[in-house]
Amino acid sequence: MSSFNPQDLMTRAFIRLRQSGFQLGVGEFLAARQAVEGGFGEDEEALAETLKILWCHSPSEQSQFDPIWESLQMSSTPKNPEKKPPVKEPKLESDQERVEEPQKLSSPPPQETVTEIKSKPELASLPIRAPFTPVENQDTSALQTYYPISRRSMVYGWRYLRQPIADGSLDVLDVNATIEQATRQGFYLAPVYRRRERNNAHLLLLLDQNGSMTPFHRFTRDLVETAIYESSLQPDKVSVFYFHNVPAASVYKDLYLTEPIKLQTVLETCDNQTSILIVSDAGAARGYRKLERIRATTSFLFQLKRHSSLIAWLNPMPEERWIGSSAEIIANLVPMYQMDNNGLSNAIDIVRGQPLQHLNSPFS
Amino acid sequence: MISTQRLEFTGNPNRRPENPHKDSPTNPEPYVVSAELKKAVNLAIYLRRPLLLEGDAGCGKTRLASAVAYELGLPLYRWDIRSTTKAQDGLYEYDAILRLHDVHTQKLEQQPPAAEAETEEEDEERVNRNPANPKHYRKFGALGKAFELKNQPAVVLIDEIDKADLDFPNDLLTVLDEPWEFKIKETGETITATHKPIVIITSNKEKGNLPAPFLRRCLYHYLDFPNDPKRLQEIVEKHYQIREEESPPPPDLVNTAIKRFLAVWNEGGLFKKPGTSEFLDWLKALHTFESEPYKAAQLAKDKLLPYRELLFKLQQDWKKYAKAS
Repeated sequence: MSSFNPQDLMTRAFIRLRQSGFQLGVGEFLAARQAVEGGFGEDEEALAETLKILWCHSPSEQSQFDPIWESLQMSSTPKNPEKKPPVKEPKLESDQERVEEPQKLSSPPPQETVTEIKSKPELASLPIRAPFTPVENQDTSALQTYYPISRRSMVYGWRYLRQPIADGSLDVLDVNATIEQATRQGFYLAPVYRRRERNNAHLLLLLDQNGSMTPFHRFTRDLVETAIYESSLQPDKVSVFYFHNVPAASVYKDLYLTEPIKLQTVLETCDNQTSILIVSDAGAARGYRKLERIRATTSFLFQLKRHSSLIAWLNPMPEERWIGSSAEIIANLVPMYQMDNNGLSNAIDIVRGQPLQHLNSPFS
Repeated sequence: MISTQRLEFTGNPNRRPENPHKDSPTNPEPYVVSAELKKAVNLAIYLRRPLLLEGDAGCGKTRLASAVAYELGLPLYRWDIRSTTKAQDGLYEYDAILRLHDVHTQKLEQQPPAAEAETEEEDEERVNRNPANPKHYRKFGALGKAFELKNQPAVVLIDEIDKADLDFPNDLLTVLDEPWEFKIKETGETITATHKPIVIITSNKEKGNLPAPFLRRCLYHYLDFPNDPKRLQEIVEKHYQIREEESPPPPDLVNTAIKRFLAVWNEGGLFKKPGTSEFLDWLKALHTFESEPYKAAQLAKDKLLPYRELLFKLQQDWKKYAKAS
């Protein structure tokens, strides 16, 4: 195609992909430019392939790329030399053109409506008709799942939960102390060893299970797995217990809520250094504001605070959904955070005993 | 000389140059490369960005690096990642204990320190180490060796990156980026790459995702299992063509084996799907394990898959095909 301009098409693809939530920076843009200059984009197909390799970093991103690319091509088709730019064309002509387009691109007739929808954003400055609304449904971001926190960031978050004390095996060579000793004695006798450091932090995880929490089981499971196996915590220093809605006189050892254990027994294992993290939507998922729930939670929290002051609450529901539900009230009793990257890191700051001052809620 | 012409990977091992580097793989790699993968490799060579290969185990991620290195006659340095690997291990290691040991033994033997002979042959195992020269005690890792090359770039394979520690990919990035250099603390040297290495990274997505800044730097290609009789046949042909000493299995056996294998593969319900390498092993067993090759007609009508221990590695999968279905 004589009008094919890879740099221009690439630039528009870059902007469009960024709008669709692709994490691309100037570096990627320059790399693509370099690739095009190096002959990796001699026609549209080759350019698409190049950009896909460069800019899409998972099969799902690659599949998102195709429709975006197609829509770009559609909108660039009217820029053929014999046609004027679409912006200046009256409605009638652009209608004709739309009929022609599918033939030109030899796409099957059922896609005709799709073509129209996709090409619309580029033709948007036409003053004749308001943009066809279904265009928003085509936005891939709407189809993405609610994914507040990745496993990786959980592992990162747990790293901050540590209380290193030197009580491991006596096998760390202290070079400075060795040199100092040798200088004092005037001769070298033996190296000085220190104890290996161990993470002494104790974590108590209390997880709401079933009911409105069912959609978040995936995240709570990840949270437990990362805390036990991928954090720097000692596996025996992580205790996980489950409850449903509100922790009552007993909580459960297993996630099917079949092995009850007295809450008092659990709390007896805690001291004032124990970090307690509660994961529950606190009624925000369904938007209820039940007095019994608030009352039960309050009494549970007061019981908890007698044992440890390092308590935080992670809420998998976004913060704007707390308002009007019991979560709003509970959030005043205990530092409550939305379960995303920031929330988890704030909650971990609280339970490690180093809260940021301005984030403290009045009761904690 | 190599640096002036543009390197291009075509998937044809016969294009290997006359005088390859001594660290280049010596055996041709039977590797069938798809057009997309070829393009990804060439882009990576051209832009000198790391190529991240993802895909199931046994689909030929690791083999690609030696195929590239063989064809281009470039040295291949392989760096297998373990859970304890640090980014610095790929650059250099410094043996301070050996230096201490040498100081003591030389004191005993009263050897005058050998005259400084600044040889540039760093790779060779040193016999006359001189404790006065700290350079004698550093040993380069895969990336360090690649950075040291003066005449041509190297292919560096970083195998199974997701095994490493959380910080590893980010640490690696600081080296694989401008200004392409690293410092050796013990000797005070700064090693700058004359030729940026061609880095191929494999990952089998065992655990979560790699950090976004790392992904953004890499080129990405997902290696699918060649779920197509023609592609599998091509792989088999190429495999036996290069390993000339083995006679290829009869075509009807290959065809039947491919058919049955793909049927199992596509049927679903497997916990761990066998990869290309498992298939090649299985084919070899069918062909040469017994004195007579397995009869193709027999294989087609066998209810029970022969040598299924080569294909299924999990109890559930094994049991599923143990029953004559």
